[in-house]
Amino acid sequence: MGEMFSYAFVQRALLASLLVGTACSLVGVFVVLRGLAFIGAGIAHAAFGGVALGFLLGWNPLVTAVGFCVATAGAIHATSQAGRIRMDASIGIFYALTMALGILFVGLMKTYDARLYGYLFGNILSVTTTDLRIIAALTLAVAATVIVFFKEFQLLSFDPEVAEALGLPAGRYSFVMLVLVSLTIVLSLDAVGILLVFALIVTPASAAYQLTYDYRALFVLSVLFGNLSCFLGLVLSYGLDVPSGATIVLTATGLFFVCLALSPKRRGGRP
Amino acid sequence: MTDLPSAPAPAVRFERATVAYDGTPALEEITLEIPAGALVGVIGPNGSGKTTFLKAILGLTPPVQGRIFVGEECCHHLKRIRREIGYVPQASQVDPNAPFRVLDVVLMGLYPGLGPLRRPGREGRRKALAALEAVGMEGFALRPAGQLSGGQLQRVAIARALVRDPRILLLDEPFTGLDVRSQHAVLDLVVRTHRERRLTTVLVTHDVNLVYPYLDRVLALNRRVYAYGPPQEALVRETLERMYGAEVQVHEAGGRPFVFAGDHHHG
Repeated sequence: MGEMFSYAFVQRALLASLLVGTACSLVGVFVVLRGLAFIGAGIAHAAFGGVALGFLLGWNPLVTAVGFCVATAGAIHATSQAGRIRMDASIGIFYALTMALGILFVGLMKTYDARLYGYLFGNILSVTTTDLRIIAALTLAVAATVIVFFKEFQLLSFDPEVAEALGLPAGRYSFVMLVLVSLTIVLSLDAVGILLVFALIVTPASAAYQLTYDYRALFVLSVLFGNLSCFLGLVLSYGLDVPSGATIVLTATGLFFVCLALSPKRRGGRP
Repeated sequence: MTDLPSAPAPAVRFERATVAYDGTPALEEITLEIPAGALVGVIGPNGSGKTTFLKAILGLTPPVQGRIFVGEECCHHLKRIRREIGYVPQASQVDPNAPFRVLDVVLMGLYPGLGPLRRPGREGRRKALAALEAVGMEGFALRPAGQLSGGQLQRVAIARALVRDPRILLLDEPFTGLDVRSQHAVLDLVVRTHRERRLTTVLVTHDVNLVYPYLDRVLALNRRVYAYGPPQEALVRETLERMYGAEVQVHEAGGRPFVFAGDHHHG
C-alpha cells in the first residue's frame, strides 16, 4: 500500500485531509463545550447554498460558500441576540432558507455541474492545487484565531454569563466562534462534503472529551483523533476503493466509541 | 460590625438612576451612596431588581436616566473599572465532566485584563494559588471544577473574584442552594475577606436573617429604594411590608430582629 503515497494526487489528498482534520478538531472543542452542534449543522447546510451560488455565478464555490456561511452565522447570531425567538428556532429558519436557496440556484443553472455532487459527499482524491491552497490558508486562519484568543474562548466555553460579568465582550467572541465554525465547514467540503462535515467537527472532540478533564489536553487529543481519523480513513478508502468522506467519518466514529468504552468519566472516575 | 472611615469618598454612587430592559424599568430613580469599605446587604422579593443593581454597578446595564458612579468613573466609562470589581454571579451548575480545573477557573478572573495572546504566566498562577488559599481551597487546585460541591464551587467563585485584587466585591445570592453548614462557611469567608481587605462588599440575598448581624447597611429594594441604612433602621415591619407587598413579621430574639416575609420560607 506504500506506493499510494508516490502519486501527486494522493499526496495532495493526504495533506488536505490532515489540514481538514486539524481545523475540524480544533473548532470541534468549542462546538462540544458550547453546545453548538445544531448551529454548526445549520451552517453546514448553508454551505450548500453558497456552493450552488458560486457555480451559478461562475465564482469560486469555496470562496462564495465562506461568504454565504458567515452571513448565515451572522443572521442566526443577530436574530437570537435580539432575543425575539429562541436560538434553535432561529437556526431552523435559516437552515431551511439556505437549503431552499441552494436548490433554487441549482434549478437556475443552465447545465448540471457534476462537481456540485462532489461537494455534497466529498471527494478528497480530486483536490486540486488551488483547492489545497485555499484549504491551507483557511486552516491557518482558524488555527491562528484559536491560538490568539485561546483564553478568551476558554472563558466563553466555561460560562458566557460569567465571561460577560468578568468584562469579556461575550457576544462578540461568540460570533467569532461561529465564523470559525463557518470557515472550518467550508475548508472541509472537498474532504468530507456538506452532509458529513459536521461529524468530523463533533466526533474527534467528543472522543477527546471522554478522556480528559484538562482544557489544553482536550485540544491536543482532539487534533490527534481528527488527524488519525483522516489519515486512516484516507488510506482505507484508497485501499478498499470506497468513498473517502464516508470512510473518514466512520473511522472517527469508531475511535469515538473506543474512547467512550475507555472513558474514566463513564465509570465516574477521578483524574 | 465594621467601623467606617470618618469621611470616606463613596465607593459607589447612584444619582436618580433608572435602569430598564426593553423599556420596562427594572430599577427606578435609585439615589444612594455606598461608602468605601462598607458591607451592604441587598434584600427584596424575587424579580425586584437585585441582580440588576449589581449589573448596573458593573456597567453591564447602563442607566437610561440618571448616573451611576463607581469611584470617579461614571456611566459608559464603567467598563474601564470593571476589572477592579470582583463579581460572584449567582451559582450555576458546572458539568461534572467539563474540562476546567479549579486553578483554571480562578485564573479566568485575570483573563479580561490581559490582551489577546497574553497568558497569566507564573505571576498569575501565584496570585491564583494565593486566592485559593484565601478561600481555603488550595488543596483542590487541580481538581475538575465540576466535581466540587456547591459550597466549594462558591468559594472558588469568590477566589476568582479576589484574584483581581478588587476594590469592590459583588455577590449575587451566594448562599442559595447550599446546606446550612456551607452557608455559614461561605458567610464567614465573605465577612473575613471584607474585614481583612477593607473591601467594599455588596451582597444580594433573600436571607436577611443570615447576614444581618454583619451588615453595615441594608438596602431594601423592589424596583425602588424602600429603605437604605443601618439594619436596625431599615428592617422595620411597615417598610418591609410595603416592599414585599405582603405581611411581614419582625421578631426580636436575643437583641436582634428576625424577619419573616410572606413570600419566603424561612425555617
